[in-house]
Amino acid sequence: MNAAGPLRRARAGLPGLIVLVALAAGLAALVIVAAGGHPPASQAQQVQQIAAGLHCPICKDLSVADSPAPLAQQMRQEIARKLRAGESADQIRARFVAAYGDSVLMSPPRQGVAGAVYYLPWLILAAGLITAFALLRRWLRAPPPGPLQTSPQQASPQTGPPQTGPPQAGPPRASPRTGPPQAGPPQAGPPRASPRTGPPQAGPPAGPPQADPPQLSAAQRRAVARALARLRAEEPG
Amino acid sequence: MSQLGTYLLLFGLVVSGYGLLAAAVGAKTGRPALVESARRCAFGLFATVAAACATMLAALLSNDFAIRYVAENSARETPAFFKALSLWAADDGSLLLWNLILAGYIAAVALRFRRDRSPTFPYALSVLFGVQVFYLVLINGPARPFASLANPPADGRGPAPLLQNHPLMAVHPPFLYLGFIGFTVPFAFGMAALLAGQGSDQWVSVIRRWALVVWCFLTVGLLLGALWSYSVLGWGGYWAWDPVENVALLPWLVCTAFLHSVMLQERRGMARLWNIALVIGAFALTTFGTFLTRGNVLSSVHAFTQTSVGPAYLAFVALVLLAGFGLVAWRLPELRTPASLTSAISREGAFVANNVLLLAAAAIILLGTTFPLVVEAVSGQQVTIGGPYFRSSVTPVFLLILLLVGTAPLLPWRATNRSRALRRLRGPVTAAALVMIATAWAGVRQPAAVAGFGLATLVFVANGQELLSGLAIGRRALRGGAVRALARGRRRHAGLVVHLGLALVAAGIIASSSLGQQAQVTLKTGQSTVFAGQVLRYQGLHTDRQPQRIVLTATVSVTNPGGGTAGTLGPRMNLYPAATEPIGSPSIRRGIVWDLYASVISLQRGGGSATFRFYHNPGVNWLWVGGLVMALGGAAAAWPGRRRRDSGDDQGASAVRKRTTVEAGAR
Amino acid sequence: MRRWIPRRRAGLLAGVVAGVAVVVVLLMTALGRDPSVIASPLVGRAAPNFTLPQLDGPPVTLAKLRGQVVVVNFWASWCAECQTEQAALDQTWRQFQDSGVVVIGINFEDSTGAARGYVRADDVRYPVVEDADSRTALAYGLRGVPETFVVNQSGRIVNRVIGPVDAATLATEINSMLATSAQ
Repeated sequence: MNAAGPLRRARAGLPGLIVLVALAAGLAALVIVAAGGHPPASQAQQVQQIAAGLHCPICKDLSVADSPAPLAQQMRQEIARKLRAGESADQIRARFVAAYGDSVLMSPPRQGVAGAVYYLPWLILAAGLITAFALLRRWLRAPPPGPLQTSPQQASPQTGPPQTGPPQAGPPRASPRTGPPQAGPPQAGPPRASPRTGPPQAGPPAGPPQADPPQLSAAQRRAVARALARLRAEEPG
Repeated sequence: MSQLGTYLLLFGLVVSGYGLLAAAVGAKTGRPALVESARRCAFGLFATVAAACATMLAALLSNDFAIRYVAENSARETPAFFKALSLWAADDGSLLLWNLILAGYIAAVALRFRRDRSPTFPYALSVLFGVQVFYLVLINGPARPFASLANPPADGRGPAPLLQNHPLMAVHPPFLYLGFIGFTVPFAFGMAALLAGQGSDQWVSVIRRWALVVWCFLTVGLLLGALWSYSVLGWGGYWAWDPVENVALLPWLVCTAFLHSVMLQERRGMARLWNIALVIGAFALTTFGTFLTRGNVLSSVHAFTQTSVGPAYLAFVALVLLAGFGLVAWRLPELRTPASLTSAISREGAFVANNVLLLAAAAIILLGTTFPLVVEAVSGQQVTIGGPYFRSSVTPVFLLILLLVGTAPLLPWRATNRSRALRRLRGPVTAAALVMIATAWAGVRQPAAVAGFGLATLVFVANGQELLSGLAIGRRALRGGAVRALARGRRRHAGLVVHLGLALVAAGIIASSSLGQQAQVTLKTGQSTVFAGQVLRYQGLHTDRQPQRIVLTATVSVTNPGGGTAGTLGPRMNLYPAATEPIGSPSIRRGIVWDLYASVISLQRGGGSATFRFYHNPGVNWLWVGGLVMALGGAAAAWPGRRRRDSGDDQGASAVRKRTTVEAGAR
Repeated sequence: MRRWIPRRRAGLLAGVVAGVAVVVVLLMTALGRDPSVIASPLVGRAAPNFTLPQLDGPPVTLAKLRGQVVVVNFWASWCAECQTEQAALDQTWRQFQDSGVVVIGINFEDSTGAARGYVRADDVRYPVVEDADSRTALAYGLRGVPETFVVNQSGRIVNRVIGPVDAATLATEINSMLATSAQ
């Protein structure tokens, strides 16, 4: 193992490098597209853009651009006429608002009470993320439940000592457990017919390497890997 | 027949009232005989409501215009197929369907739990009957479908023209209702867990499957609604962000969040109360949706004709919210789960993120839908919140969700080994980056679209990779075939398949929203135009007189630029006697990558010239296929496993109970 | 730990009740109004001017009618409700014609032939004009037919009625306007 050290380390680092490069390439493409800007819109496209922001007055949900109604068609013609006369998009919209009220706009004006609808989604997302972070932090700090969390057929751990978890401070990741780590599903369903090669405690845990991994022979490691593979295939998700 | 129907519904109300009382009293005082009698009532109730539906169906098919509902929603010339569908064409009739499906669910619960002796079942039964009582009171009171007319007319008005135009009317409302009403069952069991004061572990594995089935129905119902909007309404799109469409989406989002966080409870015993809160929230949203649709509160294409049931629905919504969340608040100190997490970068952390994002999306959509009401209540100003707002506010959350779906299945429980995770990520991320570069190079100008395509690829490749590796490991380790390997990890593999479907749906949504084109053109007979690389020529108008309508078909020939004929389009205008304006029907040439969609807007000079709208819609078929894959994946996940017998869940439940008591004892 | 449970419970319950109360109050106010009625911003403002051709006759310009009360009615031959209000409009015209009140019918999204047929069938005497490209309808914020606008002598819109008008309401309004101008 030591002889192939540097090469192994380089190969181990390769997936990370690939992911990094791919990520960078994707983001670069995104940035280029975002910075790319649009060609100047033709008049037909401008009419479409303005019409897409107006609510067809006689339809229920459609914009003036999407609506097949004759009134919507005439609104589009009016927009085209006003654009040819040199009016700006804002002026044209203001005309329709003067006749129909604010409800003719597909999105509410940014001022006033209605304008709150533009920043409230961000508040909601922020509130959700903050709650989630607080919750995760609390769960990360909480002591892990003792070795009693395994399925009933594994008799020994249930009589073991409770709560030999780590102290509250610091990350609880490196906690030496006295029970079998959860390499398999603790689903308390009817016992599965597939024989387990005993409690799978000798296998490498799914977390970061523990303080003192037990030394195993190659054959033992292979047997353990097979058992783990079998268990993973059984994972009900 | 009017009297028969009325008495049947009245009897149904009495039966469900008895069921409610018997189950509630039996639950509280612990009398299994009462509970059993209530359980048996469920079957009688279903038979009664089914008979009432059959009566209405018979009345519709036999043109019994003495019944007001039949006179308003059916006519002699209506084809028999659509006469039958008129059962749910309007408010009262659809309420009858609602009651039928609810009674069906209660009967299914009564059947499924016939051997259940747990203390929560009677409470669940009483809650179910309670909900049924409300809807039966409505149908016997303000919204009576069997109300009769003093002077029956010779012929009815016929169903609304839009509702007799397309056979999709046969499937969209039933599936949608199966989805909505189905939320009552998890809700009832959640409330039962709170009422009985028991930890909710007993029901979680059972309710998970019910919720999954309901989720499948709702997915199909929403999909059919989008398909209707696309194929029938003729505006070229499939989702108009109509208030009723939005409130139908909300329970789906909450249910998806529940289906993920329930795994936290199954595997780690966490989030028990949160799951109950989610099912209560989902049910509350369906009742709120019913209020919005039938209470004449917002203007919508789906709004039923005005009835006086608005206040009743509002009272019910208030009751559900108070009872549900009040009980959650009451039991919060007791049922709180002391949970612990090893690492945030793990499947548990991913499920938390999943819940946050899905509920944030639901909250944003709810906000946008109800905000006009808030604004008007506060300042009297009338505003519209339409498609552009929803698109711009939901897109970021949607993209984050895609990112999560593409990375979370690679995370194991508890904690992640970084190198292993990176190894699993390299394929998906590389594929995503390639797609993003290709999309940018192909000339797509919206960054959200480029990001979206990349993320959809990430989801597809990541989940596909997990599926294949699960298959490979399964086959190697178990020396069995692929099917056996699939069946062993069925839940996980079905979940991955659902994610694959989601990737397709996402790609379809992004393609159709950002890459589509449309054109409006007036053509004289024989004149042609070039659109989306094809030559479209208006060939003429064809008139077809049917008993209930006149159909004008404007035939357009489609030719490839090389010269080969690609086919014809036949958008129609249907003239119904009851409607002041003709109802258009679009004509669609569906392709794997894009659809050519045509609708005729107006006709001039008796058909001598016609105004068309042509649409180039890429990716819409990926939506339907992807949605179907999602529903099938969900069904596969819900399918009862071979090894679990009927009582297996009870065994599982009792084993879990042992575990929780041991845990509780150890603390 | 035991003592805070009842207080915390009460606090949480109070929160739930307060939240539900807010939702219910909001939805109750929403129930109280008809979602299809949208207030017009034009009431109280100057009536948009128009010059439209009559079906049979010289064009009519609104600005030239300054100093008279004008009832502007949008209608269409394919609109069933317009038929029901025709009698009221005819009566208003007959009653107030001599006081200088003008009733103008603006035809909306219709064909000239159909409009003429309607006018002939119902024997409409007041001026009827055509709004071929709906520019006037758009200027008046029309959402459907019938809609009626009552314009006072100084050219200001004092009322807008959605749906069929009835003669009594119109008469009351016109009388009050005539009275104020007479003072």
